[in-house]
Amino acid sequence: MNTPAVNVTWEDLVSTALVGTDRRSTSPGEVLDQAAVQAVRARAGRRTREGRPPAPAAEETRPLAARAAGDRLARMLGGEQARLLPEWLEAAAVIGVRVPAHLIPGLLDLGARDRSIRSHLGALTGARGRWLAELNPSWSYLLAEAADMPSGDLWEFGTSGDRRGYLAALRAAAPAQARELLEQGWDKETPEDRAAFVLLLSEDLGMDDEPFLEAALDDRRREVRQAAADLLTRLPESRLALRMAERAARFLVKDGGGLRADPPKACDSTMERDGVRPRPPAGTAQRGWWLQQVVARTPLAFWAGHLGLPPERAVQLKVGDWAREVAMGWTRAAILQHDARWARALFEVEPLTDLLAVLPPEEQSARAAELVVRHPVDGQMIMMLGGVARPWGPRLAKAVLKKIVETSGTQPWNAGELIRLAGERLDPAMHGHVQEIAELAVTLRFRYDMSKELS
Amino acid sequence: MSAGVANVRRVTERWSRDQVLSLAPDAASQKAAAGVSAPGKWSGSGALPDVVWGECKGSGATPYRACVDLSEPAYKCSCPSRKFPCKHALGLLLLWASGGVPDGGAPAGWVTEWLEQRRSRAERQDKRECEPAQGFRPSNGSAQRESRVTAGLSELERWLTDQIAHGIAGARQTGLADWDELGRRLVDAQAPGVAGAVSRLSRVLREEDWPGLLLEEYALIHLLAVAYRRADGLPAGLVETVRSRVGFPITREDVLASPWIRDDWDVVGARDEEQDRLVARRIWLQGRATGRAALVLSFAPIGQALDASLVTGTTVDADLAYYPGASPVRALVAERYGPATAGPPAGTKLSRVPGRIAEVLAGDPWADSWPVVLGDVIPSAESLVDESGNALPLHPSTGVPWRLLAVSGGRPVTVAAEWTPRGLRPLTVWDEEGQVVRL
Repeated sequence: MNTPAVNVTWEDLVSTALVGTDRRSTSPGEVLDQAAVQAVRARAGRRTREGRPPAPAAEETRPLAARAAGDRLARMLGGEQARLLPEWLEAAAVIGVRVPAHLIPGLLDLGARDRSIRSHLGALTGARGRWLAELNPSWSYLLAEAADMPSGDLWEFGTSGDRRGYLAALRAAAPAQARELLEQGWDKETPEDRAAFVLLLSEDLGMDDEPFLEAALDDRRREVRQAAADLLTRLPESRLALRMAERAARFLVKDGGGLRADPPKACDSTMERDGVRPRPPAGTAQRGWWLQQVVARTPLAFWAGHLGLPPERAVQLKVGDWAREVAMGWTRAAILQHDARWARALFEVEPLTDLLAVLPPEEQSARAAELVVRHPVDGQMIMMLGGVARPWGPRLAKAVLKKIVETSGTQPWNAGELIRLAGERLDPAMHGHVQEIAELAVTLRFRYDMSKELS
Repeated sequence: MSAGVANVRRVTERWSRDQVLSLAPDAASQKAAAGVSAPGKWSGSGALPDVVWGECKGSGATPYRACVDLSEPAYKCSCPSRKFPCKHALGLLLLWASGGVPDGGAPAGWVTEWLEQRRSRAERQDKRECEPAQGFRPSNGSAQRESRVTAGLSELERWLTDQIAHGIAGARQTGLADWDELGRRLVDAQAPGVAGAVSRLSRVLREEDWPGLLLEEYALIHLLAVAYRRADGLPAGLVETVRSRVGFPITREDVLASPWIRDDWDVVGARDEEQDRLVARRIWLQGRATGRAALVLSFAPIGQALDASLVTGTTVDADLAYYPGASPVRALVAERYGPATAGPPAGTKLSRVPGRIAEVLAGDPWADSWPVVLGDVIPSAESLVDESGNALPLHPSTGVPWRLLAVSGGRPVTVAAEWTPRGLRPLTVWDEEGQVVRL
């Protein structure tokens, strides 16, 4: 090879090569020789650059999950029994561990797509998770989730997640103090924070909170107004509750053996202020929509006096044209106001999943068991069962297992759905007693091992 | 393996799930293995220090019998799958990795039978390998090959000269077709190594600075052709390097005939790369005592058996035989004596990497990958940094290495990476507990 000309730069060589040596006064062989020497020289002569490492993450305060538990989480993130992931997260949160660092990115990616698992991620991914969330904008949602940190300056300087966590803890310990703290800086909070903070007052809600919430009905942000209105309906003596009861008395009256509905003809500004949304969803009649919302926001205690009937009888009344809207209003009210008696009465008429959630767990399970025994499997039953919290009681377990065996030959798709749900909700200790349904046994065994690793 | 029972007593440390999955031939196998790793699927399972076995319930009446000799590792399963290791063997290992296989127990008859077979086969092989290897004698066939390669490479030299004479500005339009044609001629000329280099040229077109990168590649191919032409004046080691880069085959026997190097070899990382309907698995080793780097390369059609005998994060006591060359790195495992105590490998200082790479390139200017194990480095989004602020960039295709960042959390860790001219590809990191994490 020729001795390379020292004064030729790499850029010169590249530009010569691009246009071709035919247009320059060098030979192609020389260009290739020189390029080879320079290329190898550049590769071999490359030095380290100057770099700045990221600032280290804070020390972890939680212990690492046991290795077996971490390995199981890795399997689930890899797709095995992925539906049980929320249960893993919940169990890990209860025992206060953190996840192995190398699994955090996978978990945070999942949280970016699925909001439902976010609530535990703040604590479970620990200091490392927060450190990563600061670096990756698509994980920044994590900073809005509460992590367990000591208090101190948190209220003043923490991320929104920290501040929500702090306020929630204070509310649980000293409800009035929490509200007063909130009132002090209320005007300076962001709309998102205001909405989240109002919701936190649902813990230990009382008439002391009423003036603050009543004022919040004039907030600029709809979410804040809605949250305040939802809370006020749970206080039968609140001004909002009284206004609603007054409206309800006008729109629904007892008429012989039934009820006559006379829905509002307009949604005035006072109704709107009280949380009634003027525009109905597509396909819903305006007046019925307003009626439904007024019923939903009226304290349920009002009806016993107004109709002279207990809830069990009230739900049986014939309503005529607006029956659907009234039933939906009551249903929504029972859920909003956590009224078990009304929920029970309404469930008797129509077994809606959402109503079950208002009942204590054992009762959910018992009522669901009755339905399963009495009815054939269909989509509605599966939806209803989806709302029954785990673990399912022995009666429900027995009823569902029987249904699975009965339907596996005739309706394999429904049986499949039941197996899937049963796998998630049955007590995992039953894994040894369901051997005849192999898929179920595998899932329960998986959960059984999982719970042992996280105990 | 003639050492047999005497050293089988060494307890194999239980592998992590990640390590097991790295043995799978492809992603589908990983998934399938997870599916059969549930404890409920297995019966009669047990583990001795170096062997795991169990019976897996399949769709048929008879369960599949799977057994893994951990020292190697070697796999056996009665299922008809053509994948290797099959999902049952992997599933069994996953179960074992998660603590789901009870220690001890007497191995069933079929387990001992298989182990016996393996042992006697290994002894027979030992005997065969003790026979003197045949020396290298050029036959008529190889003389013919020699002249074909000579002709093919001088044509290549002319082609390259033409490109530079007319200018490479049009490579984006005509390159793919030209290189395809050129590659075919080089295959006909029995120079598959150069043909491979030509077929990889298309990669540079994706880059923004493609003219510079293309000139670099053309120049290095030119350098190889010139080196082959002038081989008579080159040192012996460099001649070997040139011949292997050109694509002259070297037999296993010839490699094994070179002196062996015994060490405790850390398996520091592995990377699979798909090319021309083949998967190439590159497994990087580093000797504990010698500090030498080694590459064990295996190829298989997509979805088929790849070398699964070296598990990232483990350490094996073995003899390696290196392929000849000026910067030897590719090697064969000549003899395994069993596992050695594992743990994070010793890391080099980041500031010493450029010097090391310069030495490698001084021997083999075409070297484009080399393993480095870096101790006490802090990963950032685009580089690895040491405590004095010296940094080595990551390969652009790596993207932000989130898993690596997560494990380090801004603190120094040991990272194994593949050096390439365009930057480091991180392969493995050891976490705060000394656990290996594949990246």
